[in-house]
Amino acid sequence: MLGAGLILFLAALQGVTELFPVSSLGHAVVVPRLIGLNFNETSPAFVPVLALLHIGTAAALLFLYRRDWVRIIRGFIRAAVRGRIDDPDQRLAIMLVVGTIPTGIIGFLLQDPLKSLFGDPRAASVFLIVNGGILFAAEMFRRRDERRRAVASTQVLAHEEDDPGYQGIDGLSLRTALIVGFFQVGALLPGISRSGITMAAGLVAGLRHEEAARFAFLLATPIILAAGLLEVPNLGADAPTLGVGIGAAALAGVVAYASARFLLRYLRLGRLDPFAYYCAALGAAGLVFIH
Amino acid sequence: MRGSRPLAIALLALAVIFALAAIFYFTQKTSFLASGRPAIHWKHAIVFTVLTLLAVVAANFARPKSINV
Repeated sequence: MLGAGLILFLAALQGVTELFPVSSLGHAVVVPRLIGLNFNETSPAFVPVLALLHIGTAAALLFLYRRDWVRIIRGFIRAAVRGRIDDPDQRLAIMLVVGTIPTGIIGFLLQDPLKSLFGDPRAASVFLIVNGGILFAAEMFRRRDERRRAVASTQVLAHEEDDPGYQGIDGLSLRTALIVGFFQVGALLPGISRSGITMAAGLVAGLRHEEAARFAFLLATPIILAAGLLEVPNLGADAPTLGVGIGAAALAGVVAYASARFLLRYLRLGRLDPFAYYCAALGAAGLVFIH
Repeated sequence: MRGSRPLAIALLALAVIFALAAIFYFTQKTSFLASGRPAIHWKHAIVFTVLTLLAVVAANFARPKSINV
């Protein structure tokens, strides 16, 4: 059984790292070992406790995009009943369903082999470095694209993101949503960030940074919520007390909400490079110091 | 987008298979299709229920529609 202090520490860590493109699962596996916290990641309670924290994170995302989710759910019901897409809300709803299916199915089929990786901090360290590489590559691709557009355009823009060629979620095709959804499958590996890999795919698909983050958060919500709700019953005898469980989920949710607000503001002008360097550094530290 | 009756029928058939699997997992204690001791596998049952709904929705999208002018 995991102690209350450790669970609250994991909650804060999960809240900060779930929505930043740095892999919360990778952090939960690597950071405690790196700072010398003595606990067993292969404990049967570890994954269900993380899943409990995911419910807090999912609640934060639902609250952050509450108006969007009302429109998305209404849109999905209307589109499902009519069998066609008539407006942007219905289109967004179907895009989210299409984008969620690959991770939902593959995650469900491979859940047992994937869980075995959760107890391997060195594997998570390698995947953290890979995650940094993915973020860096996406930004490199984006910079090259921005330079190409700047040469072709006669307009002088205050910021590259103002280029009308970069779009919002409404401009995505269903096929692109499916491809971004397939990228999200990578986040089943501890160390690969769900929001990071979908933001990277969104940037390559031509979304503005802030819209790529918004799409990543919307796409992540059903998976995070489902993972939490389906895994929590496995807590069994190792479950923390009700107070600790609710407190930890609430802490994860509050921290995740603040993190998401910060990230969305940052991405109005910022890029993913700092997160790429951070992931590479943390992964390298894990490989060097964890044996 | 033009509809496809064969695709809609295939998706409906898939929905029926998913529904049968969901009913099976909701009602039978199993250990041979899922690891572990014999038990009701709620997680599998819920996932197959969701897949059933998605297959029905996909079939509704795929069916040919009458054109209203």
